Amino acid sequence: METTNENRISKSKDRHQKAAFFVFAVLGYFIVTILIAILSFIVIKGASVISWDFITKMPEEGMTKGGIYPAIIGTLYLVAGSMLFAFPIGVLAAIYMNEYVSDGVAKKFIRLMTNNLSGIPSIVFGLFGMALFVNKLGFGDSILAGSLTLGLLALPVVIRTTEEALKAVNDTFRHASYGLGATKWQTIRRVVLPMAFPNIITGLILSIGRVSGETAPILFTVAAYFLPKLPTSIFDQAMALPYHLYVISTSGTNIEESRPIAYGTALILIIIVLVCNLLANALRKYFNNKVKMS
Amino acid sequence: MKNTSIILAFVLCANFTYSQKLKGSDTVLPLAQKEAESYMKANKNAKINVTGGGSGVGISALVDGTTDIAMSSRKIKLTEKMKLADAGKSFKEATIAFDALAVVVNPANKVSQLTREQMEGIFTGKIKNWKEVGGEDLQIVVYSRESSSGTYDFFKEHVMNNKNYATSVLSMPATGSIIQSISQTKGAIGYVGLAYVEKEVKALNVSFDKGKKFVGPSMATAKDKSYPIIRPLFYYYLATVEKTVRPFVDYCLSVEGQKIVETIGYVPLTK
Amino acid sequence: MIVGLLMLSSTITSLTVVLIVFFLFKEGVAVFEKKPVEDGYTIVINKNNKVRKLTSEEIKNIYDQKTTFWSQLGAKHDSIILFRVEDIANFYTEDQIGANFENLPSCLSSIVDSIPGIIAFFPEKYLAKNFKGKQLDIDKVSLKEFFGGEEWYPTAQPSAQLGVKPLILGTLWVSFGAILLALPLGLAAAIYMSEIADERIRRIMKPLIELLAGIPSVVYGFFGLVIIVPIIQKIFNLPVGETGLAGSIVLGIMALPTIITISEDAMRNTPREMKEASLALGASKWQTIYKIVIPYSISGISAAAILGIGRAVGETMAVLMVTGNAAVIPHSILEPMRTIPATIAAELGEAPSGGLHYKALFALGCILFVITLVINLTVEFVSSRRKGGNH
Repeated sequence: METTNENRISKSKDRHQKAAFFVFAVLGYFIVTILIAILSFIVIKGASVISWDFITKMPEEGMTKGGIYPAIIGTLYLVAGSMLFAFPIGVLAAIYMNEYVSDGVAKKFIRLMTNNLSGIPSIVFGLFGMALFVNKLGFGDSILAGSLTLGLLALPVVIRTTEEALKAVNDTFRHASYGLGATKWQTIRRVVLPMAFPNIITGLILSIGRVSGETAPILFTVAAYFLPKLPTSIFDQAMALPYHLYVISTSGTNIEESRPIAYGTALILIIIVLVCNLLANALRKYFNNKVKMS
Repeated sequence: MKNTSIILAFVLCANFTYSQKLKGSDTVLPLAQKEAESYMKANKNAKINVTGGGSGVGISALVDGTTDIAMSSRKIKLTEKMKLADAGKSFKEATIAFDALAVVVNPANKVSQLTREQMEGIFTGKIKNWKEVGGEDLQIVVYSRESSSGTYDFFKEHVMNNKNYATSVLSMPATGSIIQSISQTKGAIGYVGLAYVEKEVKALNVSFDKGKKFVGPSMATAKDKSYPIIRPLFYYYLATVEKTVRPFVDYCLSVEGQKIVETIGYVPLTK
Repeated sequence: MIVGLLMLSSTITSLTVVLIVFFLFKEGVAVFEKKPVEDGYTIVINKNNKVRKLTSEEIKNIYDQKTTFWSQLGAKHDSIILFRVEDIANFYTEDQIGANFENLPSCLSSIVDSIPGIIAFFPEKYLAKNFKGKQLDIDKVSLKEFFGGEEWYPTAQPSAQLGVKPLILGTLWVSFGAILLALPLGLAAAIYMSEIADERIRRIMKPLIELLAGIPSVVYGFFGLVIIVPIIQKIFNLPVGETGLAGSIVLGIMALPTIITISEDAMRNTPREMKEASLALGASKWQTIYKIVIPYSISGISAAAILGIGRAVGETMAVLMVTGNAAVIPHSILEPMRTIPATIAAELGEAPSGGLHYKALFALGCILFVITLVINLTVEFVSSRRKGGNH
């Protein structure tokens, strides 16, 4: 039988395709393997120290025993503080940009600034926070200074996710609302925001994940190595998980004994980030389904 | 003006709860933390916050009034003294312990002693191979602390005759990473506090009299000062707050406080 | 009222960038108004010495005893004699100096006068009124020294060396190394996820990879130091494992999620009709991918690459722990390197606030900011071109 030219070409095409796809699949799984390697490295080493006492007790014996309770609480304060600052401002700014400003110089300028803000390295935020909040405004090393610094870092994330959420709301809803005689603000409040809400919350959760893992911005603005009591005001210093991890894995004279605590701290941090990501994904899916059905 | 009043308000807030702040050197940090921990056990009303950041950060916080005690692993610098003088503040100094620096190498290294001159050669980059100091034919990899740390300055002044380190020196952010690196690099050499010397690294005997007598770092040789690479650790505080901070400083200097010094691995003050 | 509030919020965002620039550059630019010699100190020589002026590099070489004769600096053939204020004890007793150093200025003055080859470094306040030596002229830190200098000794006494070239080069080497590793890997994964894998696998893989972005950088650094560094040392048989490559690998892993997510999004945005048309014309799936999908999403992919570099350039903690931080001009990726963010994080803590070193670190912050700004603007340009192409 004669094999036609075409057939041969398509066979070689097939072979190319198979080879290429195989390589891609291998590389894709390779990345997942790296991830699993890093995760299991931390989990295996950290799981043994995690207990109820570990997350509810103060550190003892020069950080070699006891728990990391104050660091967890400190991180919660910082997350709450930074979100109190970044969330309203970010959402309002996004509404302004998406609903009020028409394409033009102003919008371009704000967009450019927001994008630049998101590209600034976190250590530069740290420098800035130290120069402005700690020294110039005299807040000292405090939860206030740290929260503001972290808030600035989270601002572009909040703005971007909110804007995307607003954009996803179909214009027909807006027109329908106007058609019923609603004002612009009423439309935003009653129609657009409720519809965009789930995606906005997803953005909030994602920025919480980002903020809770940052070390560089809090290094010079809030982080304390050891506090005897939990902070009682926003002008107090606080301990925080990422900084705690950094210090106990690098200083302290008894590295071997504090190493399990370092792994445990890393694991708790990863769990927080993981929970945030999963929560965001689950919410996104849940609300997407709801929107589709309605 | 507004700034000062804000700061004043904070200081008042801080004093209201009687919590003292300690800030500064990462070398002093673990010691101060443990001293604070046991001091607070004995005095239920006391509250002490301990923060690292570095000797420089501690002393500039003292100038700004954002800390009560600055911990330092080096003597206060002239410029820092002038700043305090400019701010109209007078300060007190307390030596709370000594820290002996051990010169360490990988355990597989055959070299077990070096003279000061040889160390100067190694850290300034003149001596590049272990065979030049009696070891095997192996490139020397020098690890050091960051250029801004008090330890870096001290080593330069006392061991390297004030010459600069070679540019090729690897600098590590913390002693923990130096130990880790030296234990996994065969030709490595570095310096760490006596407290950090572990099985994973080998401490060298050193000679400061051109090879007549070599002394190894240990608590005993550090206490009787026969080991030459040893430095004091300090607390600095303002004369105006002496009343509030003195009880804690006294505790650190007491027999009990000096016991903690030894358990941490630093060298207690000897009379 | 509401509009005002909304406008205020977005103004704050824009203002922040302006504020950051203002504070960063205010502190950073001030480095050029400082002398490399510590405030309050002076360097003096004998009055008969012809030398008037020394650069900070010349001073460093003198104090490192690399330059040992004045003739090397164009003066008489005297050997250079170093003098620090502590050395005074070799010349005078404590009684002669006085309990409060009241006689120190006149002692210093006569020492400098009596030794022709001397160079002395001491606090300016001990300079006698009728000082018999000559104060050296020292220039402020110059742009040329700062950007062209090859040595970074910010705390060197008596004269700091502020050459940022090794740091800038180190940052770029490590970042580009990271992108060279991460880009092909990331693209392959993105193509696999968007075009090849079925929906079920994609649904598991994507959140997993996004999780990679959430792991704190300290954890990566720690992982790198304990696992990657020894492996590199063994494979390449190097004397030392802390190298630019170790930093590149760690940063590469960290940049992966950014690259994958953005380029995958771009690929999935390829209109279905285009893909179907290609398939209908008899092209294979693989041909469709590299003839249609990749060209269509190329600007998204380049944006991903650039953002990935941006991430890598600014990353601090992980790099600090694995690259060895030696401030030398790199010649190969298998050498230790020092990056700008690592330098700031490691040194800011010990730099006396407001001093030369502190300002120099802020200047490094400015350089970092400019680098990332350029990267951001490039992304902006690339992605606006993509939007233009859509119309």
